[in-house]
Amino acid sequence: MTRRLDARTLASSAGVLAGLLALWWAASHGDWVSRVFLPTPEATWGSLAEGLGTGELIEFSAATSLRMLLGWGLAALAGVALGVLIGASAAMRLWIGPTLEFVRPLPASAVMPLAISIFGLSGGMVLAVVAFGAMWPVLLATVHGMASVPTQLKEVSAALGLTRTEYITRIGLPNAMPDILAGMRLAMTVSLIISVVGEMIASQPGLGQAILLAARSFRASELFAGIALLGAIGFLSNALLAVAEAHLLKWQHP
Amino acid sequence: MIGKARAFVFPAVLLGLLETWARTVGKGSDAVAPPSAALWAWAGALADGSLLAATGFTLGSAALGLAIGTLGGVLLGTVLGLVPRAAQAGFLSIEVLRPIPSVALIPLAMLVFGFGLRMELSVVAFATFWPMLVLAQAAARQVEPRLLEVARALQLSPGERFAKIVLPAMVPRLFVALRLGVAIALVVAVTVEIAANPHGMGYTLMIAQQSLDPALMLAWLFWVGAVGYAVNAGALWLQRRVAIRMGEAGLR
Amino acid sequence: MTATTPATEPALDFDRVSIAFGAREILSPISLQVGRGEFVCVIGPSGCGKTTLLRAAAGFVAPSTGAVRRAGGVVSGPTREVAFVFQDYGRALLPWRTVAGNIGLALEAARVPRAERQGRIDEVLQTVGLTAHAGQYPAQLSGGMQQRVQIARCLAQRPEALLMDEPFGALDAMTRQGLQDELLRLVAEQRLTVMFVTHDLEEAIYLGDRVVALRIEPTAARPSVAAVIDVRIPRPRDQLLTREHPEFLRLRRELYQYLGHH
Repeated sequence: MTRRLDARTLASSAGVLAGLLALWWAASHGDWVSRVFLPTPEATWGSLAEGLGTGELIEFSAATSLRMLLGWGLAALAGVALGVLIGASAAMRLWIGPTLEFVRPLPASAVMPLAISIFGLSGGMVLAVVAFGAMWPVLLATVHGMASVPTQLKEVSAALGLTRTEYITRIGLPNAMPDILAGMRLAMTVSLIISVVGEMIASQPGLGQAILLAARSFRASELFAGIALLGAIGFLSNALLAVAEAHLLKWQHP
Repeated sequence: MIGKARAFVFPAVLLGLLETWARTVGKGSDAVAPPSAALWAWAGALADGSLLAATGFTLGSAALGLAIGTLGGVLLGTVLGLVPRAAQAGFLSIEVLRPIPSVALIPLAMLVFGFGLRMELSVVAFATFWPMLVLAQAAARQVEPRLLEVARALQLSPGERFAKIVLPAMVPRLFVALRLGVAIALVVAVTVEIAANPHGMGYTLMIAQQSLDPALMLAWLFWVGAVGYAVNAGALWLQRRVAIRMGEAGLR
Repeated sequence: MTATTPATEPALDFDRVSIAFGAREILSPISLQVGRGEFVCVIGPSGCGKTTLLRAAAGFVAPSTGAVRRAGGVVSGPTREVAFVFQDYGRALLPWRTVAGNIGLALEAARVPRAERQGRIDEVLQTVGLTAHAGQYPAQLSGGMQQRVQIARCLAQRPEALLMDEPFGALDAMTRQGLQDELLRLVAEQRLTVMFVTHDLEEAIYLGDRVVALRIEPTAARPSVAAVIDVRIPRPRDQLLTREHPEFLRLRRELYQYLGHH
């Protein structure tokens, strides 16, 4: 969403957001919805402040974020490496491509039971599934990016006598960069989701487990505080990647 | 024809390797089973009705959640796309709510609805609402400006302009968005089942693992993959048909 | 620099029309009258504002000073009485409607009763020679045919004036020549008033009764209108004979300078 953040937009949208907050306040105080499901904004804020103050929520946020980033990092490396391997060779794309297309729609969480069989209910299991799930968007994007090098550039490469490695690093990968970066952003989203699910299933310390426990004990304000933090993590990670992407792809918008 | 057959070579090789490995080195493992055993387990699940029941539940909740998320997202997205002031006003609220991962709402949905259909479809609806909103908004804003000038030249009323020009122009892009929505809906539905909901394909997958039945687990894993592939292929087919009908694909 | 004043009320009257975008003046004040049934061509180098002038006549752009008048009133916005033909015909046709459907759009907009519509569509299809293609979609047609569909839609409006913005610019030479002759034929048949923008000097002379040459970056000393010249070549025009006519060649030499060549 490229929208210039001018004062007018900021003012009117801040107004609408404030309006929604007011609606939340009214709904919770007026008991339109039971307080079990909808805590008041103050209660949510209170739980958030308390959790951050005691350091508990900070710990959980850090655990989830670390899991997400580590898994994403592994996935990015593996995805690009495998993607280059498969994408640079037309033969590989021909034979392996269809299998990749079959695996593409598979929900990453579906391999969690298999991972549990292999790794047990552990942090390592969650990390493995995160890395596996987040790898696919990067891998597929890399393959696509490498495959879509314009013919003219391939001919230029041949004319200049570039070696295979030089072709990959100087032409193939840069050409694939926009796709790869988009894939990495998608991978980050997947990574956060699977981290949270993994924490829920494997009882690993983190926000995922925290909100599940909060729901089970009917502590709605803690639940909402946790959801808010997860939203913040999602927002920050995406925003940082977007900035990096814009910087790396400066040449697209001189 | 040869091309189609070629697609199966690599997976066949992999399955062959798995079969050999599972029957020798990996014999008796809780994690892997030979594909042949998995096929047998799959047939068993089909026979006793569990396959259809679980698949039906997952697809049903995914479809219902998608319908709700699409309806809301497309309606609001269209308004935002056509009325710049509305888009400005909604900006912050959307940016605040959109990044919330849909799985974060699983405990909330559990709290409100307990387990079952409503819990799952509400999470799917939330997950599909945002991409549909964003894509519908883009589709509404990207109507060919020349056609909007034609509408001005012919002095079409705003209602006519929407019905005869904006909406038909949006349709192909909406079906592209729907294809994405379908993929998300299925993934989220299965994820909700894996994480919490004791229904559907994700749940049977977890049960198979917990019963230490690797053959059944593998069968379900492949089946989820196959269902996902089929559903996505169907959505792609639909998208292409619509594109051709609306004149987007070059017919010459 | 000659200009004829039409005997009857003009179809289009540019009354000291100037157009500026922000600080940049695109067109310095122009006063020009297009008579009923006249075919006026506007030429000039890129950026001289010829398309802007046409869009002002159509009501898409409001003049910064002065006014465009038509049928006694000031043009304040697009109306169905003036039909506009865009250069990018592909983007001006509805890809999801057939040829007949596209033409029908003009009739729907004009609230023509349903019973009458088919007859008028057939009529207009016959005029542009596309009767056989009524059920086809724009994507199935060649560029020339798509442009004819757009022209047909404009004719269906039964307009008082036809404003054409480099309509044949995107077509190959052979198609262009064929469409030029078709245009002249139907303009004569229907006694239409036409204002035709083009960068093709020979096309302007071939088609027009008058040619208006515009300058780029107008100043007080060198205003937008560089020349308004009558084309005294008899009609009907012919692609081979007219282009060898001494008057054609003379006009071509005279107007060549106004295209930005030095």
